[in-house]
Amino acid sequence: MDPEPKKPEDSPSNSANSHTPVQPPSPFPDEVLEKVLSFIDSHKDRSSVSLVRKDWYNAERWTRSKLFIGNCYSVSPEIVARRFPRIKSITLKGKPRFSDFNMLPRDWGANVHSWLVMFAKVYPFLEELRLKRMTVTDESLELLAKSFSGFKSLSLSSCDGFTDIGLKAIASHCRNLTELDIQDSVTEDVGGGWLSCFPENFASLEVLNFASLNSEVSFDDLERLVSRCKSLRVLKVNESITLDQLQRLLVHAPQLLELGTGSFLQELTPRQYEDIESAFSNCKNLQILSGLWEANSLYLPVLYGACAGLTFLNLSDAPLQSGEFAKLLAHCPNLRRLWVVDTVEDKGLEAVGSSCPLLEELRVFPADPYDRHHRDGVTELGFLAVSRGCRNLHYVLYFCRRMTNAAVVTIVQNCPDFTHFRLCIMTPGQPDYLTNDPMDEAFAAVVKTCTKLKRLSVSGLLTDLTFEFIGKYAKNLETLSVAFAGNSDWGMQCVLEGCPKLRKLEIRDSPFGNAALLSGLKKYEMMRSLWMSDCNVTMKGCRLLAREMPRLNVEVIMDEESDESQADKVYVYRSVAGPRRDAPPFVLTL
Amino acid sequence: MEVQLELALSSGSGKGSDPNQDCDQRKKRSFEEAFMGVKKKDVDDLHETLPLLIWDGNEEKKQQFDGELLEQKHIPKLAISNNREDNFVVVGWPPVKSWRRQFCHQISHRECTTNYVNVENNGGGGGGGRGSNSMYVKVKMEGVGITRKLNLSVHRSYHSLTAKLIAMFGICEENVEKYKLTYQDKEGHWLLARDVPWETFIHSVQRLKLQKMATTFYS
Repeated sequence: MDPEPKKPEDSPSNSANSHTPVQPPSPFPDEVLEKVLSFIDSHKDRSSVSLVRKDWYNAERWTRSKLFIGNCYSVSPEIVARRFPRIKSITLKGKPRFSDFNMLPRDWGANVHSWLVMFAKVYPFLEELRLKRMTVTDESLELLAKSFSGFKSLSLSSCDGFTDIGLKAIASHCRNLTELDIQDSVTEDVGGGWLSCFPENFASLEVLNFASLNSEVSFDDLERLVSRCKSLRVLKVNESITLDQLQRLLVHAPQLLELGTGSFLQELTPRQYEDIESAFSNCKNLQILSGLWEANSLYLPVLYGACAGLTFLNLSDAPLQSGEFAKLLAHCPNLRRLWVVDTVEDKGLEAVGSSCPLLEELRVFPADPYDRHHRDGVTELGFLAVSRGCRNLHYVLYFCRRMTNAAVVTIVQNCPDFTHFRLCIMTPGQPDYLTNDPMDEAFAAVVKTCTKLKRLSVSGLLTDLTFEFIGKYAKNLETLSVAFAGNSDWGMQCVLEGCPKLRKLEIRDSPFGNAALLSGLKKYEMMRSLWMSDCNVTMKGCRLLAREMPRLNVEVIMDEESDESQADKVYVYRSVAGPRRDAPPFVLTL
Repeated sequence: MEVQLELALSSGSGKGSDPNQDCDQRKKRSFEEAFMGVKKKDVDDLHETLPLLIWDGNEEKKQQFDGELLEQKHIPKLAISNNREDNFVVVGWPPVKSWRRQFCHQISHRECTTNYVNVENNGGGGGGGRGSNSMYVKVKMEGVGITRKLNLSVHRSYHSLTAKLIAMFGICEENVEKYKLTYQDKEGHWLLARDVPWETFIHSVQRLKLQKMATTFYS
């Protein structure tokens, strides 16, 4: 049985019924077993441990302190509460990934509130909550703030639903807070007043990230906060913080490991320029740098003094040109991870190839995703240049407007260790621009050469051949994203019948129908989830799937305009909690 | 031998109505090229009908391909966005997170902004007291739903303010000319920003608005 992700069950397979053989007594007293198990952190290992025998199951559940729930609907708060009595840290993920791209209607679900109500009752000593793609209301944040006196760490990634009211509650009541990390969260004009609610004697913060919140905060209060939190190691401010304000923050916190700057566009006097340059030079421990909104060649040099130790440079909010980018890179020899905007073009990527021999991860984002300005962006040449210079590359996310099979074949020969290969040729169904062939050969090369591949996103003109190769060769593949690809059910079937470790499959706008959907009957219980939108699946097919597999939730999201027999958006996932009790009217559980 | 599946599809925005077409004629690709992956030379031949996909690969596969294609609704959903200036945009594609800004920076604007070195020191020391002097005003751009906020205290000229606004709203080079910066003063009147000296502007501005040229004529 696939041990991932944690699917907490009430009882393991051998204990619920009366035919349980009597188990021989354990050679270890419970205390010893529990002590040993308390060293095991990984939730996958713990899941395996819990299946060994009943006393191991019990020892495991009593010693587990960290809970990881990859799909909040796969289990219910009640089931979790019954099984695990002593939880201090919880990671909870909600919506399917395509919600990031506006493909899910508002109010779809994944509201954390019912979870918090249960946590407040059962886990009063909760210290850490990490949420991803969940809806978090102010009411929930208030409940959180008031229910857990020892609460330390809150991380909200791609969440929505809260305003500064909720954040004010956190700031005011969480006396022991060490981490407030808000990433990529969708906020409409969340006010900045919450920052001023940290009490005057509050000094425990180690991580503060409010880079994605739009509003101005009180700089005076921020400065005071930063100067009294001596253990602060991560500070990511938002765009409202200016360069000279940043300088003052850096003077108070030269010990920072991670910094997200504010706006880099400001008229500076020569004195201010010197001050900020010197402040950066004093940040000897900086490993991660981001922000840099509107950075340009005039002020980038102030950073140089802090770049020697940088391992992760995130320029995804700073669309640089190749020249200034190359100059900056020359100061960053230790980069392992780099995120850039495609304004750096192929020339900039050549500089990456020559300046960053230790690079392991590259992400190139499009400046102009909707092609309003017909800019070149990056091409296969840039990717090739990086692959030649950065042999340790194992993670790539690459948005481009043209690609060739030959380039990809060479790239994976140069870098055979890819674990994450996400190539997005932005025009749907676009062939190899030189030969006009489908891009099948490219992805065949990827799966054949990169035996460690765990995550793959395909794009361009693709026939079923691509999926045949994926099914046959991608033995370690866990996540596959497909868009505008394939010819027939056969393609999807190949993937479902191959890929032994597949956990997440998300498909849009591809000609896979009921036969394909149903060919994965047995597989879906071993996966976290399947998403299919705008394919050829019908309600009939979904109903059949639901009937055959009662432990799967087969949900269809109805659109106003959609034809009643077509299932335009289908979300299938395993669950021990049964059908959703909070489903909105447009989500049908079959 | 090529297979052409012809599908007549109206392209919505005719040549004249798309302001983005002015941006760079040389690089412009028509809807067919951009969306259907058709080469430019083929587009000219095809004129009004659009091939769904052109592929002269393996003959056998191709037959299967055609047949399947014709039966299935293998047509990407086109959701026309509210902004009339857009070309056709497929919902959720490319898969970039919605909060990520679209950058419309042009090199020429960036070069302009680098000319503002060595601004006069106002006697109080460059950074002294800056924190409490931040001056946030609301900025609205006509046609854009969300109102933004801008800190005026870091700017000392219309030049730098304009650069910031261009950056903030991602205004393309050609469109810069089409907008006028107006501001609301303490008495509530809306005035053209550049009509007054910077110092006057900065002392009385309450809000900013970027208005399209035609409308300012009547305000």
